[in-house]
Amino acid sequence: MITIADVLSPIAIFIFSSLLTIILCKFTEKMKAKGRVLIALWFLVIFSAAICAVWNLALKYHASSPTCPLLSITLSGNEFGIFSSAFLVDSVSVYLTIIFTFTAVIVTFYALLCVNNSDGNAGRYYAMMLFLTGCVIGTAFAGDFLTLFIFWEITAACSSFLLIYGRTPESIHATLKYLVMIIVASAFIIYALSIIYAISGTLNFWAVRQILATMQDKRLLEIAFLFMAAGYSIEAAIVPFHVWLPDAYTAAPASSSAFLSALVDQASYYVLLRVLLYILTPPTVLPWVLMFAIISALTMVIGNLLALAEINVKRLISYVCIADVGYNLVAITSATELGIMGNLYFFLVGGITTALAFMLVGIFNSMGLETLEDFSGVGTRMPLTSLAMLLAVLSFAGVPPLAGFIAKYMVFTSALKGNLAWLAVIGVLTSVIQTAYLLRLINYMYAKKPRNEIKIKEPKIKLIPVLILTFALIVLGLYPTMVLDLISPIINELQLIIT
Amino acid sequence: MVPYCLLLALLLPVLSTPFIFILGKRSYKLAALLLVLVCLADLALFLSVSPTIISGVSNKYVESYLWIPVLHSSLTLFMDGVSLSMAVITLTLVMAATVFSIDYMHAKEGLAEYFALLTLLTVGLVGVFITSNLMLFYFCWEMMLVPAYFIIGHWGYRDAYRAAFKFFIFTHAGAVFVLLGIGAIFLVTGSLDIFQAQSALLSVDEELVKWILISFTIGFAVKMAIVPVHMWLPDAHSEAPAPMSALLSGVIISAGAYAILRISLETVFPALMATEFASNFLHGMTIFGLLSAFFGSLISLVENDIKRIIAYSSIAHMGYVLFGLSMFPFREALTGAILHLVTHAVSKGLLFLTAGAVMKQLEIRDIREMGGLAGQMPITAISSATAALSIAGIPPFACFISEFIMFTGAFKAIGMDGFYLAPTALMLVATVLSLAYSLRLFSYVFLGQPKHEKIMDVPLMMKISMLFLAATVIFLGIWPTQVIHLILSAIPA
Repeated sequence: MITIADVLSPIAIFIFSSLLTIILCKFTEKMKAKGRVLIALWFLVIFSAAICAVWNLALKYHASSPTCPLLSITLSGNEFGIFSSAFLVDSVSVYLTIIFTFTAVIVTFYALLCVNNSDGNAGRYYAMMLFLTGCVIGTAFAGDFLTLFIFWEITAACSSFLLIYGRTPESIHATLKYLVMIIVASAFIIYALSIIYAISGTLNFWAVRQILATMQDKRLLEIAFLFMAAGYSIEAAIVPFHVWLPDAYTAAPASSSAFLSALVDQASYYVLLRVLLYILTPPTVLPWVLMFAIISALTMVIGNLLALAEINVKRLISYVCIADVGYNLVAITSATELGIMGNLYFFLVGGITTALAFMLVGIFNSMGLETLEDFSGVGTRMPLTSLAMLLAVLSFAGVPPLAGFIAKYMVFTSALKGNLAWLAVIGVLTSVIQTAYLLRLINYMYAKKPRNEIKIKEPKIKLIPVLILTFALIVLGLYPTMVLDLISPIINELQLIIT
Repeated sequence: MVPYCLLLALLLPVLSTPFIFILGKRSYKLAALLLVLVCLADLALFLSVSPTIISGVSNKYVESYLWIPVLHSSLTLFMDGVSLSMAVITLTLVMAATVFSIDYMHAKEGLAEYFALLTLLTVGLVGVFITSNLMLFYFCWEMMLVPAYFIIGHWGYRDAYRAAFKFFIFTHAGAVFVLLGIGAIFLVTGSLDIFQAQSALLSVDEELVKWILISFTIGFAVKMAIVPVHMWLPDAHSEAPAPMSALLSGVIISAGAYAILRISLETVFPALMATEFASNFLHGMTIFGLLSAFFGSLISLVENDIKRIIAYSSIAHMGYVLFGLSMFPFREALTGAILHLVTHAVSKGLLFLTAGAVMKQLEIRDIREMGGLAGQMPITAISSATAALSIAGIPPFACFISEFIMFTGAFKAIGMDGFYLAPTALMLVATVLSLAYSLRLFSYVFLGQPKHEKIMDVPLMMKISMLFLAATVIFLGIWPTQVIHLILSAIPA
């Protein structure tokens, strides 16, 4: 039987250890290499504890095989208590916790290798990463709108610390833009929540669902839906609300971009998925499918077209993130089991691939290579880094045997299944555009002559997290069964919800 | 027969790739040797299956392993007469290309990477022919892209990466249509196995099957370089290094034709057999085949770049094959078309190798500046003559047999469906054109007065490789019985 302690422990481990991290970093600031090793050991302890907690939860969940699709657990013990914060455990949230912990481990260690430790802010930076991981996991477990709102808005707001870390004029500007949009989004969501509370008298996911499903007069619900959808769309950077993302991710340090794209972005898609499909308005309640299908088509087309004209590589990768939102939306709008499985697989694969790409761009940037022109001929000068970049890029493009292919296959097939064949066709065509600009990057790396003959030394140690993720991409592409087995219980759960 | 032999045959090149790379760092010759050994081992594994196919109760041999159960996808490998002949010819060409590369590429850098990429390419090529699972098929289909991109780009001539880029984007764009088709088949039949899908599709709405068929065929036609989606071929084939051109023209575009046969026609098409659309579709294929044949032959006649002539001739020959495939319901014409894939692969591969040999010794590519090489490069000249005559369709060389069977089949088809009368007549004209450009190519390059002095024939390894393929061409021309037998065993009567 899963208790509240099982659910809270991974969240609590991350949040409390983040506070201790600040103190620890104050002590290790003066020590140079030794300090870094100490922090690394500390991280190892935290993550081992977190992994144990997640492991325990996953084992208990899969052993219990619950009959109710959404297993709701509250602090007070009363399942649908009005003001008691509820946590929801289902295979989606358990799966997300596992993948968030995995990616967080890798990206945090990358950050540890990249960030200058003697800078007084390094401690806060690491702490914020751990804190965000905790909040993102909290978002995945939220069982009512208020808990979701609290965890998710903390995540969105705290992301700005990671964005602004470099404190360059660009990053300050971009973070300001981001914050303004996030605040507007929160206001929208709060407004929608108040309407939902007014019509249903509760904020618990399951209770809200039951009431909305039988409701006759849907006019208020439509308004609430629009505000809610707009609010979460801003945070997920869906076109036309995508403008903050390229600026923010380009200006932020590479480790921040990697972290945000691997965890926070994926969580934002999760929120959309949960709110749209599971709770608020399954397509049977409100016919939102066409609207979101059009928006996802727009997101794919615009994200990819903008990237086509981009010469800054980091910005190019951020446009790929926008395109990824579009692909995720395709699966969400299809509202099929295959689509949800595709989404969940995409959360892992898209997260790993974008994180990998940003980490690699970080390595290239530290050598002073920023634009496509700068990347000329790096293929021979930095063979390992370039090989990893090549694999990341091919995974984005959906070329088998890399993991991106399986994800895209599931997404597009789900669109066909959801009777959205036109969306699938737009999807694959934009995927070809994506291949074109990504291959252009490869072309610069391998086909062009290097500008100067200076031999570049690859930072071997930074390549460790990179190579782990690259390896994961290949394994997930060749043998996706191990992850898909984790996801597959969803087929049974979703049938209870959608139909 | 070895247990798990198809799985072994697929995994052997994959697993040997790192070793070939490491060996190649020490000596590229050892890497090439290892690759040849891998190909020979694969060949032995495949041939060990052949008795089962020919004499067995079932006309195919199947192995199945668990892979992605959630997506109903298992690692199913199978082998029937057609796959066996394609796989064998692929390995033969890969071996010839590898041996040719030893001397042809010896001055180039990064040969360890070259041979490792060649091995990966082999995995994709062989895999396409021996799998009946659409997911694995797509894996192998796209596996060809990346190694081919780098081999063309890095070791090619002139602005090779540009040609490679074009190749990648075109074939990938074609492949996404294939992917849509695969997704649709998965949805309507719940299976990704082509044999299960074939029977399941019979009960599916015809309108939907029509779209699946079109989507597949467009996707495969890009790889096959059928006019009007042929644009990638002349660049890619002419800029690639000669061994790669041989593989591109020999096997990669044949893989497109094979996929049209195996998936479009054998799997999806039967569900539409009774409809009016079916005959329209086949007639459409005939017309596109005709277009490609004429387009390729005519450009080939006026082109002066040695490799571009051969490249355009490949378009023409894929036109013949498509023409043959369009007579799908007629067994003989279909046999001819499939046999033509085999014979054309060897002949065209050989022709590209000889062109590479000439270009290596002369370092020019305009055939008007060549001449009289027959005396200076006798072995190359003999091989080239064999290949050119085979391409021209002259007995006793390989392509004659296949074209002969195809046209006999076409005459029979005319009796059943009057539509084929005009296309067959026109196609016969196209074969005359192929005779014209083959002879033009050969006489410009090898006959007449020598225009260059002190030209030596190519080194030993290149000679061995060319003579080996030339012998195969003649052998297939004189004694094609075994191959025809194999192909017929796979086509239901």
